[in-house]
Amino acid sequence: MTAETSAWVAIGIVALVTLASRLAGPALMAVIRTGPAVERFLDGLGRSVVVALVASMVAQGALREGAAAAAAALTMAGTRSATGAMLVGMAVAALWTAAQGA
Amino acid sequence: MPDQALPPGPDPSTGVQLTAAGVWQGMRRLFPVAVFVIPFGIGFGVAAVDAGMPLLQVIVMSMLVFSGIAQFAVLDFWPRPAALGSIALVALAVNARHVVMGAALAPWLSRLPPGRRVLTLALMTDTNFADTFARVRAGSRDAGPFLGGGLVLWLNWVAGTAIGAVGGAFVGEPAVFGFDVVMIAFLSAMVAGQLRGIGRGAVAPALAAAGVAVATTGLVPTGWNVILGAMAGGVAAMVFHDR
Repeated sequence: MTAETSAWVAIGIVALVTLASRLAGPALMAVIRTGPAVERFLDGLGRSVVVALVASMVAQGALREGAAAAAAALTMAGTRSATGAMLVGMAVAALWTAAQGA
Repeated sequence: MPDQALPPGPDPSTGVQLTAAGVWQGMRRLFPVAVFVIPFGIGFGVAAVDAGMPLLQVIVMSMLVFSGIAQFAVLDFWPRPAALGSIALVALAVNARHVVMGAALAPWLSRLPPGRRVLTLALMTDTNFADTFARVRAGSRDAGPFLGGGLVLWLNWVAGTAIGAVGGAFVGEPAVFGFDVVMIAFLSAMVAGQLRGIGRGAVAPALAAAGVAVATTGLVPTGWNVILGAMAGGVAAMVFHDR
């Protein structure tokens, strides 16, 4: 498989898995009765994957990425605006890069 | 069978409809929110081109996948995405919340004809889910705004991605404008919002997820540290739910 073919296949897989995840909820509820433990696990999994992604990105990044993440988290905690948090995080990273280039 | 997950609506035996007026209403209502999807899409477009994805692939991916977190998460595998099994697992873990969201709407959606149910669910995101869940609780029987909200979010996502992917080639280094940290900033904002909204019950799963994800970084194949971290968080949520 060439790199380009495998990239298209990968995109197709991500698309199918994502579509399946969107359709799965009602389909599963029609077939099985999930217990509270399973629901807590799925709920915890859904929320934890975001935490794990951030932690992994910060661990692989540098101080600049960590500073951007911290600024965004603080903005969110203070203002409850996800968009504002995203923009503050970007601004911190851009300023960091500018300061290093200067 | 009575809908135990939902409060009684006006008349539970009546079917849920999908009206064109409702679709239009949803598009207008979520438009102000969807506008803010554009910078996020630009961030993805720039990051994807930077990761070595050709322009056409970037745009087609956004059209077909329509999940920012999943698309950013699998970028780690580019420019040579060969570990297809790992890619599928990462996409699955990142999208697990869709299953929960769909399950929460199941009693309501099951009253919609199957074809329309699939069409509506295909465009489900965190944003139009949250909007719809609130309307269902208020007794709404029109799935139109759910689909309309999804449509306007999809249009803005694809448009933002295209702008970012085309512009990315001219922008040069994405770090200059901070576009490379769009995802990390957005996700850490989501974590801060979760911890604030849910409170102490969310702390143990978050610590477990972050700890395992960081500890296994570099030890396991790409993406697996995130999968393991998420699993640890899920187990912690199961164990520590009543503390």
